[in-house]
Amino acid sequence: MRICLMLLLLFSVPSYSELTDNLRWSFDASARVNNNTSAKNTSRIYAFGLDTHKVFTSSQGDIGYAVGQLYFTQLSNQNPYPAMFSSEDDGKFVIREAHLNYASNSNWLPNIRLGHFTIPFGIEESIDTNGRLLDYYHGKNLGTKLDWGLGFNKVLQDVQYSISYTLGGKDKPKSIKDSYAFAGRVGSLSHLDFILGFSVFDAKIDETQRQRIALDWQYYWSSWGFIGEIALGKDKPVQQQWRKETYSLVELNKTSIDQQLKLYGQYIFSDREGESEPTQRLNMGTSYQIDKNLELSLSTRIQLNTPTSGKKLNLVRFQLRYRY
Amino acid sequence: MKTLMILMIFVVFIPNAFAEAYCSLRDPVAQISQLYPNKTNQLSIVKIVDDNTRSQVKRALPSNDLHFSELGKHTLYVAMNGTQALGYVHVRSEQSEWGLVEIVWSLDKNLRIKDFIFQRCRSPKKNIINNQSFKKMFIGKSYQELKALLSSDGTTANNTLLAHAQSAPKLASVVLRCALKTLLITEKLWGEELKRFNK
Repeated sequence: MRICLMLLLLFSVPSYSELTDNLRWSFDASARVNNNTSAKNTSRIYAFGLDTHKVFTSSQGDIGYAVGQLYFTQLSNQNPYPAMFSSEDDGKFVIREAHLNYASNSNWLPNIRLGHFTIPFGIEESIDTNGRLLDYYHGKNLGTKLDWGLGFNKVLQDVQYSISYTLGGKDKPKSIKDSYAFAGRVGSLSHLDFILGFSVFDAKIDETQRQRIALDWQYYWSSWGFIGEIALGKDKPVQQQWRKETYSLVELNKTSIDQQLKLYGQYIFSDREGESEPTQRLNMGTSYQIDKNLELSLSTRIQLNTPTSGKKLNLVRFQLRYRY
Repeated sequence: MKTLMILMIFVVFIPNAFAEAYCSLRDPVAQISQLYPNKTNQLSIVKIVDDNTRSQVKRALPSNDLHFSELGKHTLYVAMNGTQALGYVHVRSEQSEWGLVEIVWSLDKNLRIKDFIFQRCRSPKKNIINNQSFKKMFIGKSYQELKALLSSDGTTANNTLLAHAQSAPKLASVVLRCALKTLLITEKLWGEELKRFNK
């Protein structure tokens, strides 16, 4: 049945050229090695997929566009493993971004987005970290990075905004046990040298309610960047009391003038009510774009405070990524 | 799983190559409106900038090259008012000592410069270049007319243009190189297809 529907969809496209016109696609393959010295564990994550972008047009202009990212992801000794996998050596197809976007040509009516997309909140709204070692802890802070749902966004003269209502099912296009997520961010224009944003978030995901407000900023001077995010809020896991959370991240980065080499250092502070002391982490990372296809990345993550277990996180990660 | 495999096989045999397009408008609706206030929509036309295009640039503009991020599929936007084309918009980036400078170029239907705005420029001297006294040196000019503003080294602006660049000669040269590559690539890759808008 699904094959029939797929063929119907393909044959309903008026012509082959209309399908391929304004279509961008690339193969994206990556191999990642994670060495956690405190846990004495080495794991690997392999991903191979397609990244597509298609603009739909009529004789009078553009109607909208679609984004589709489908990856086969294989874990090897990955522990803990993401919830969508069933074991530390599991492999499965994963949909990253997959959405349709209607582009409104009105000066004020919003664009409409439908599908699986990154929740509009904080720094991640303007810096995409999908498939990279660089991380702004979007998923960890909100409970998920991507979700299925509906969004509205618009770039106005001096500000831009994006709001969404999603189902809270993360990789599944449905609400699970009354899950939902409402998120929104308003900020200055994302191509400027100084960007300021304000975000709100209210959700129930994995039976945990989360509420957040956040301030994020990016400041670029020459080839240097200073980025930060401060989020305040509270969590309520099932059958527990609300507990306050504070999360902040500051990053200093440097990009070579040919854009091939990138270096960054991050300090992350998170304080959760009820825990003995705040968690403080230091991330250092680099990436080198060898040519237009091949990129090498290396990052280290060090925990600065000593947790009650006595085992400080000490993680080194390496990634080789090829896009064609 | 079978459905996914069929879909994968179908897409694999689409004969187009290269997917990344770094230099695109962050928001076409808003940015094209800035350059064409009367436009009602925009029409995207995507073409591949490949090694052959790169060779053509090197031949036409010796001592110049395309940054690796400039290869791949790129979009030229036709600013539309109903079914009528008003002109074209194309974004290109040029390497500078402040990183990549991204410039949004507005072209008329005869492929002459109509205007430009910076999408990303981290030079502290951006405001010197981003004003009408400098821009007028570009507005209305064709590829050949702008090429006459290159000095003999093929990469820097000559004294005619630098006289309008005050204390920003390096950025002036970056803008000139970017303009020349934009006009050249637009003509080579999109020229034939754009003829239908001149009827």
